[in-house]
Amino acid sequence: MTTPSTSSVDSGGTQGAGSNGSPRPLPEQRRSRGRATTPAAPREITTGFLAGRVIALGLVAAIDLYAGPPLISGRHWAGVVILAAVSLVIAYVYLSKRHVPVKYLLPGTIFLIAFQVLPVLYTLTTAVTNFGDGHRGNKDEAIVAIQTSSLQQVANAPEYGLSPALDKSDHLVFLLVTTDAAGDRKVQVGTADGLKDLPGANVGLTGKVTEADGYTILNAGDAAGRAEEIGAFAVPTGQGAIKSSGLSRAVELKATKLYDAGCDCVTDVASGTKYTADESKGYFVGPNGDNLSQGWKVNVGLHNFARLVNDPAISGPFLGSFVWNIVFALSSVFFSFALGMICALALHSPRVRGTKLYRTLLILPYAMPSFAMLLVWRDMFNTDFGLINRVFGSHIDWLGQPMTARFALILVNMWLGFPYMFLVATGALQAIPRELTEASSIDGATAWQGFKRVTLPLLLVALSPLLISSFAYNFNNFNAVQFITKGGPFPPDNASSGATDLLITYTYRLAFGGSGAQFGFAAAISTIIFAIVATMSAIAFRRTRKLEEVYS
Amino acid sequence: MTWVKRVGWRHLVLILIVLFALFPIAFVVSAAINPLGTLSSSELYPTGASFENFHKLFTDSRYPFVHWFVNSTLIALVSAFASVFISMCAAYAFSRMKFRGRRGGLLALMLIQMFPQFLAMVTIFMIFTTVTDLWPAFGFNEVWGLLVLYLGGALGVNTWLMKGFLDTVPRELDESATIDGASHAQAFFRVILPLVAPILAVTALLAFIGTINEFIFASFFLTDPESKTLAVGLYGMIAGDRNVNFGMFAAGSLLTAVPTVAVFLWLQKYIVNGLTAGAVKG
Amino acid sequence: MRRRIVFAALGAAASASALAACGTDDKPAAAPSKDKGNGKLVIWADTKRTAVLKKYADQFGKDNGITVEVKEVAENLQTVFVTASQQGSGPDVVVGAHDWIGNLVQNGAIDPVQLSAEQKSTFAAAAVKAVTFNGQVYGAPYALENIALVRNTELAPTAPATLEDLVKAGQDLKKAGKVSEILLDQAGAQGDAYHIYPIYSSGGGSMFGLTSAGDPDPKNVTVNSPDSIAAFTKIKELGEKGSGALKTSIAAENVVATFTAKKAAFFITGAWNIADIKKAGIAYDITPVPAFAGGKPAQPFLGVQAFFVAAKGKSKALAQEFVANYVTNKEVALALYDADPRPPALLAAIDDAKAKDPDVAKWLDAGKDGLPMPVIPEMAAIWGPFGNAEVAVIKGGDPKTAADAAAKAINDAITKK
Repeated sequence: MTTPSTSSVDSGGTQGAGSNGSPRPLPEQRRSRGRATTPAAPREITTGFLAGRVIALGLVAAIDLYAGPPLISGRHWAGVVILAAVSLVIAYVYLSKRHVPVKYLLPGTIFLIAFQVLPVLYTLTTAVTNFGDGHRGNKDEAIVAIQTSSLQQVANAPEYGLSPALDKSDHLVFLLVTTDAAGDRKVQVGTADGLKDLPGANVGLTGKVTEADGYTILNAGDAAGRAEEIGAFAVPTGQGAIKSSGLSRAVELKATKLYDAGCDCVTDVASGTKYTADESKGYFVGPNGDNLSQGWKVNVGLHNFARLVNDPAISGPFLGSFVWNIVFALSSVFFSFALGMICALALHSPRVRGTKLYRTLLILPYAMPSFAMLLVWRDMFNTDFGLINRVFGSHIDWLGQPMTARFALILVNMWLGFPYMFLVATGALQAIPRELTEASSIDGATAWQGFKRVTLPLLLVALSPLLISSFAYNFNNFNAVQFITKGGPFPPDNASSGATDLLITYTYRLAFGGSGAQFGFAAAISTIIFAIVATMSAIAFRRTRKLEEVYS
Repeated sequence: MTWVKRVGWRHLVLILIVLFALFPIAFVVSAAINPLGTLSSSELYPTGASFENFHKLFTDSRYPFVHWFVNSTLIALVSAFASVFISMCAAYAFSRMKFRGRRGGLLALMLIQMFPQFLAMVTIFMIFTTVTDLWPAFGFNEVWGLLVLYLGGALGVNTWLMKGFLDTVPRELDESATIDGASHAQAFFRVILPLVAPILAVTALLAFIGTINEFIFASFFLTDPESKTLAVGLYGMIAGDRNVNFGMFAAGSLLTAVPTVAVFLWLQKYIVNGLTAGAVKG
Repeated sequence: MRRRIVFAALGAAASASALAACGTDDKPAAAPSKDKGNGKLVIWADTKRTAVLKKYADQFGKDNGITVEVKEVAENLQTVFVTASQQGSGPDVVVGAHDWIGNLVQNGAIDPVQLSAEQKSTFAAAAVKAVTFNGQVYGAPYALENIALVRNTELAPTAPATLEDLVKAGQDLKKAGKVSEILLDQAGAQGDAYHIYPIYSSGGGSMFGLTSAGDPDPKNVTVNSPDSIAAFTKIKELGEKGSGALKTSIAAENVVATFTAKKAAFFITGAWNIADIKKAGIAYDITPVPAFAGGKPAQPFLGVQAFFVAAKGKSKALAQEFVANYVTNKEVALALYDADPRPPALLAAIDDAKAKDPDVAKWLDAGKDGLPMPVIPEMAAIWGPFGNAEVAVIKGGDPKTAADAAAKAINDAITKK
């Protein structure tokens, strides 16, 4: 072993132990070169050793100094505990001589946990809820929303001009101006106790009170500064309360729906209809089974999963979409890799001139904003106006027929993806020692044989993990499908699943295309897809272990 | 004849592929110089030619294009370097060390990428609402906040890419270095990093492009017009409303490619002669 | 050697941000702190309106001694607003279309706006009706929008009286080689319920039945009623296997270009495309979408753009002041009109705009019998399935099959909440 390691016994254990079985010749030459570049110098070890630890500790201290005070002043004790724990872990890992792999993995892992793992875990927990539009908040929030939106202006109540003011003891009051039919103005003062007349106050041209004995009138800036207080202030009246509507007007309002904790129900004041809380649906439900539109988030158990299985409109097209999804991801990876590799090979020769120009032109498809190019491609496939039909003199409804639409998607995805493959293949080709390819040509192998025997296998070693992860990316390539076909074309008798739908676009439409966002349901579908894909990938991954063992 | 056999075919293949690559881009160019600003791809040549769309991009007060340009380039550069470093470290551990959960970790890294991102918005808001309250410098509308968010994805695809490359670098190199008394950190920084310069350059470029193209998170994270990125700003020109300005959009798309190509030209020398140069001079 | 230093420096920088993030990861589930919003008003709008709002928002800020921030959400403003509000990161005011109201209310995301009877009377009646949901006004309207028939007067000097006349005139022009398309009514590969609706309604089609109060009834989807199937049959006759006036290849991305290139004389569209048509120097006129001979009137959807007060904003009183008492003034309405020429909702501003631009009166005339876009959240379930049915019949599919499939998909989406 090259490094101190934890005491684990990885069953895939031929890692690291050297090169038995490796097809890589000429180790002496490369080893000697490597040695020449790293003269052993114990003094430097000490310096580096110290410097590394000082930097690590310094950073931890800096982070704690930055992140700690707001947590403490905000009394987020749980946050303080987590911060301290993470700091201790970092300090321990980088001060200790052990746990070397963790030293290398920790920085990325911290970000990964915070911004990828946590969101995924949270999403999974919503799969057993009805979280979505209409059910986003908790019950209290729903009650507040119901009562607030039931506030109606009291019929025939006057319209008040509002001048917020302070009384002698600096309490907020409303100075309210009403104008009668004759145009005469009357000023009243509204306090938490109610309304009373305020004779002798001056009213300006704009309808604002300019002066009133015993009160300090707030100017616009001061009123804005107290906006929250003004918004919350209510002057009780016989029928309801006078509330501000903004900072310059006030209206008399009464609630037309009221919540009663005793019966856990909302009563419509005018009709007397009672809407009782239904904790299984997250709605207040009336006697006829209709519900108030504001609901809350409740646990629905496995309802979302059951819906997935029981509804033939959802489970029926699942298999077809799944097969196409795999075909799409595989062919996207295969074709873009093939084309990218051809480019890289063609340029991989000292005799080719203009490599710089070629390379620059070849990465352009990747350098342009991808959504813009997807839109351009969609246009090019247009039956009547698109360039492709024009060039070929055809009249094919490319995106309107299942097979041509699928072909078009794969072609576009190849175009978008090949520069990426070109770049990585170029990088990988550079990493293949020229001695190897030269050796094979000295042996009398043709260029093709050399490629097949030496270059391609080595490329695949370098790139197969990448190809797997590229498959993963294309498996969920939402943008490509959404921008070009939106999953269509759809059969006339089925509006829920189109010919080019990937599981993710299909999920997206089910979850967000209907009555608003249904995060809980989307999470349930995602969980199922995730489980299927994870199983498949794990199996494929086990197979690649053999490959890795052969070459490493 | 031998020229054709040795080099000529390469040019032929390359020219064909370049044509394929440039074909759709030609329409973007056409739309960009078309003063009427349409993206109708039925015509190869524009109905008129002017630089009005480019001019408007830099003068129209509704679209602070220069700000977007600077923001995008900055975010993409910093994020590319940071994510290359992070994933290089991880790839080194995955390629060279033996520890419990190594393969499980790799598999998990891939699987987590397969989870639909559009579901993450709710959680991102939960996390960053608190962050904005407590540490505003890393909150909404701050470039640093977005950067930190992007780094969450850094481990994903790049680690796989680099692990693959590292597996092809002969293990004897760092072994011999350790035998000579170097620590694992020295072996990593002095032996491995210079050797994989081409891969670092490629990964940096990929991360750069990935960041500059990202708009799902950026579209709700940065909402001040001046704090937007190119992808979000350009997308805003054509989305959300039925009225569209394809001409300026096309011009902006073309200009978006400029920083990417510039970074590519800069990194090209590492990509091309990285290995030998690195090993000798390292 | 130099390279090593560079890497070391980068390493330090990268781990600094790495560690910074571990701090951000410690997040207790804290409620948004109170009273932070005092003296600050935050407005969210889409790309179009941000710049023009900024000017008037700044003025409002100056008048009231506060700071006003106008922020722009380029993508999915409605969803982002609801999500952000729920988590306490939302704005105080949001600008959007009136058909969002149903969804925003069911999520408790907006508050009613208390307009006085006098204020209400200053708006076009249709605009106030559009922002009213469950008997409550939820926003201050500022602009109206609807589609109409825009005609190239050089190619077609007289306005067609019926859809049949339109198709005939278009066919004649096409035969004469003057145009390549009979009519431009965007459909695209996914269909476009909004743009087909005038033709569909003239054929007798409808989307929902009505409740006793006259509101759309989500429990009664009428997409596959006999009348609606008859309307789909008429659309089929206009489609690719019929007269060819409606085509799925005609889509949002190519209609303007085709019309400005004078390749079609008739264009069903809204005020948002007029700027491009003017710029191309096309002589045009705007008339209501004609009906089928002997058919029902061709009703376009009426849309209203409005300001909403966020229920979970931090400065609600300021937001109320801004929405109920400030943006309802004429200057703001006219400035918004100048930025985006949709007819203003404020009557006083309509008169000024009419004086400036004769098109305003024509748009309003084309929309006077329009159907306000239903506010109910269930409307969201219509678009996708209806568009699929439209595409199927335009391509020559069986109207009944398509309508039944759409109705089933819509009902499934509505009931399976």
